[in-house]
Amino acid sequence: MQSTTKVRLTVAIILVLTVFLALFDFPQIVNKFNEKTGAEITLFDVAPFHLGLDLQGGTHLVYEADVSKIDEDDRGSAVDGVRDVIERRVNAFGVSEPVVQINKAQGKWRIIAELAGVSDVNEAIKMIGKTPLLEFKEENDTPARELTKEEAKELKDYNAKAKETASIAVSAARSGQEFSEVVVNFTENELQKETKGDLGWVLEKSPYAFLFEKAQSIQVGEVYPEPIENADGYHILKVNDFRESGEEVKANHLLICYAGATRCEQETTKEEALAKINELKEKITTDNFVELVKKNSTEPGAAELGGDLGWFTNGMMVAPFEEAVFAMEKGTISDVVETDFGYHLIFKEDTRPLVEYRLAEVFIDKMSESDILPPTDPWKDTGLSGTQLESAAVQFNQNTTIPMVAIKFDKEGADLFGELTDRNIGKQIAIFLDGQIISAPRVNTAIKDGEAVIEGDFTIPEAKELSQRLNAGALPVPIALVSQQTIGASLGNESLQRSLIAGLIGLILVMLFMIGYYRLPGLLAVGALFIYGIVLLFVFKAIPVTLTLAGIAGVILSIGMAVDANVLIFERLKEELKTGKALGSATDEAFKRAWSSIRDGNVSTLLTCVILIWFGSSMIKGFALTLGIGVMLSMFSAIVITKQLMRLTVGKNTKGRNLWWYGVKKNRK
Amino acid sequence: MAKIQRGAIYGGTELRKIESKLVIINMFQIIQNRKIWLSISSILVILSIVFVGAWGLDLGIEFTGGSLLEVKFNAERPANTDVAAALSDLDLGGEIVVQSTGAQNMLIRFQVIEEDTHQQIVSKLEELYPENIQEERFEAIGPAIGEELKTKAFEAIALVIIAIVLYVAWAFRKVSWPVKSWKYGVIAIIALVHDIVIVLGVFAILGKYFGVEVGLPFVAALLTILGYSVNDSIVVFDRIRENLGRLVKTNFESIVNRSVNETLSRSINTSVTTLIVLLMVFFFGGASIKFFVLALVIGILVGTYSSIFLASPLLVIFEKWKKK
Repeated sequence: MQSTTKVRLTVAIILVLTVFLALFDFPQIVNKFNEKTGAEITLFDVAPFHLGLDLQGGTHLVYEADVSKIDEDDRGSAVDGVRDVIERRVNAFGVSEPVVQINKAQGKWRIIAELAGVSDVNEAIKMIGKTPLLEFKEENDTPARELTKEEAKELKDYNAKAKETASIAVSAARSGQEFSEVVVNFTENELQKETKGDLGWVLEKSPYAFLFEKAQSIQVGEVYPEPIENADGYHILKVNDFRESGEEVKANHLLICYAGATRCEQETTKEEALAKINELKEKITTDNFVELVKKNSTEPGAAELGGDLGWFTNGMMVAPFEEAVFAMEKGTISDVVETDFGYHLIFKEDTRPLVEYRLAEVFIDKMSESDILPPTDPWKDTGLSGTQLESAAVQFNQNTTIPMVAIKFDKEGADLFGELTDRNIGKQIAIFLDGQIISAPRVNTAIKDGEAVIEGDFTIPEAKELSQRLNAGALPVPIALVSQQTIGASLGNESLQRSLIAGLIGLILVMLFMIGYYRLPGLLAVGALFIYGIVLLFVFKAIPVTLTLAGIAGVILSIGMAVDANVLIFERLKEELKTGKALGSATDEAFKRAWSSIRDGNVSTLLTCVILIWFGSSMIKGFALTLGIGVMLSMFSAIVITKQLMRLTVGKNTKGRNLWWYGVKKNRK
Repeated sequence: MAKIQRGAIYGGTELRKIESKLVIINMFQIIQNRKIWLSISSILVILSIVFVGAWGLDLGIEFTGGSLLEVKFNAERPANTDVAAALSDLDLGGEIVVQSTGAQNMLIRFQVIEEDTHQQIVSKLEELYPENIQEERFEAIGPAIGEELKTKAFEAIALVIIAIVLYVAWAFRKVSWPVKSWKYGVIAIIALVHDIVIVLGVFAILGKYFGVEVGLPFVAALLTILGYSVNDSIVVFDRIRENLGRLVKTNFESIVNRSVNETLSRSINTSVTTLIVLLMVFFFGGASIKFFVLALVIGILVGTYSSIFLASPLLVIFEKWKKK
């Protein structure tokens, strides 16, 4: 048996260590001390306890990666890539300490994302699931392929025949045959057989402009003397009627817009704008109109065009403008007119009657290369995509303050982009996002430094999101959400509070029971349990162990195990004492005898824990981990701490002590 | 309790003098009455098997796949049928089960849905009960994952059982007389299967009449009960092992009965202390671990019973069979 001094020393060391660990568990105590005394003890400033999703709220998402298109050997690294991308996206979303893990189960690759404290899960899911695909394309000027000789001959023959047919049709129509009959006989547009080729009233500005033009040179009732050719085919034209309906106006205008008006980029107030236009109205004449427009109008392009609106008819301008302009006399300038665009002064330059022709036609189809060759995409791939991006950031256009996304390519991307811009000077390059064209800037010079700007119709949040997603990169394989578990923070918190309080009440009851039943050893065991609790919390913080609701259940159970170890020892002690052994040797015997039971029982529990941790589900893992740690510490607590405390009370001279304190009825002599 | 203690007055030097006579005073005749205890166990196990067979367990969405939405009503909680009717307009592809839980909450179960549909449901409910409703929890688990978890749960339980048999056989390897060490392991397993079957039976009843679902937490509880049950059996076996070494001349039945009696107060005290904590959590703790804790409570009660009234009597029966 150890000497009393040695025992006292051991107990003292245990107590000091306990206090030290307690400060790690509850650094608030140290902080208070620092506040009050002005001391700066930072040793105990460690991270707070890790709370699981069920306690602090958050979401648990399981994605399945579709690796079917990837070689067996490369799947692991592809899924690794997915995890990295998801991790970056989640980080961009501002989740604190996200957990993103890969799980391969039964040949399926899964990615598990645990996002603690996320308030908008819907947004997070969108963020993770989206695969931004950024592509750079150039104009496609090369046809899919050349025509073969046979095809070229076929094309030529077909069109020659079409022309011949068209000429016959013209002769037929001009030789007095009913035009409707000619339509039925010759047209290659089935619809025309029903309408007798009627195209209705045709305006100059219409898809039939090319027919309108020819119609002007012949009389009503006449058939145009030759077939009219355009890209689609041959048209035999007849003018059925002519009329003048309403009036066309040619006008110029001067616009002064103000902040808030449609499409206005000025910062002038409405009052200032009105004052300005009234001032202009004073000095404007038909002679200096264009000049003043060029100087003052806020309309984009006014400086070049002089506010010329060209010829227009009813229904083409906004209502207040139109009313004003049609009510005016030719050659005059209007009063100030207000529209959604701002204030206008209008100069009505000229008017002319609006001409309409009633046209009818026979259509003879022509064949073109595109009828034979497959359709070509107007844009072609360049091999430059989001994967060669180094970074993306939001910038603002200095002139328009419209947000845009500035991108920087990596080495490979910069070279590709340099070549691409070099060979496309004067042409457009298109930027596609997820298959949609978002901007198609014209290349002015070759860009060799690998930096470019994407201008689109972005709002600031959109530009931000795009840059974040570009930074996060593209997913190497598609993923699908197969499971989600979302727990509101309040639910978890409530459960935690209630369960902790309930556990605490239970613990106090157990302590009372232990003291009442085992008396002094019971009290010592309670002391040992306190130390056990402090060490346990320290371990949870140090590893760190993520505490879940199930984990707390594990802790509670491990407390039961710790109590059990003490119970085993004390029961044994009682037995040994009843056989008349001296207190000291009875204590040693009790610890020795009880050990095998404690060991075997706890080992079987530990085995269970190991298997549970292997089992994998995060909730069960949490439970098994806390229980396992708890069981190991409880063994330590019972065998080392309780033992030392017992020895302290037993001391050297044991004969005279009252055995009642140890739960034995009679005090032996 | 004190009455039990008196039975254990023999020990040490004093005991050694009288051990051959072995006068049993105030000891509970546990082994001797084994027919009663075994009958009780058999009836409970058979009933449990019948319940589980007839009704099965109400498996949670972790195993079956499906969606679960928990909402909290800050003001008045509408009738379950109202909510079910409101959601029936949305195409949720199957049955909608609405269940009240706690004082203010409601659980809504349906098939696995896309995130968009989930948002539709939430906005529909918010529209119907403005300022009143709050989403607390949403789970959607694909059926494939459920199947996998089920398989894994069985694997885990099987693995735990195998590991424990091996460990117990190893721990008792030196105790081959009069019962072979591996038989201790087998009996420990019989005891724990007994415990688990009864817990399953209770949950079959709870599932049938109270809609209590078993999910992953339940599996964790079962596995813990496994460990606990074996722990209890081992403590008794450990004492038998010790007494076998000391009381060489006594017959096996008396040694077992004596060992059970000696460990009786430990078994009861340990169960009581653990149960105190668990019952507190059951009655006052969070709703989400209520049934997890209940499974543990039942398991520990049954486990304590089986370590005293099933495992040890079986040991004696095994020994008697060998003799015949």
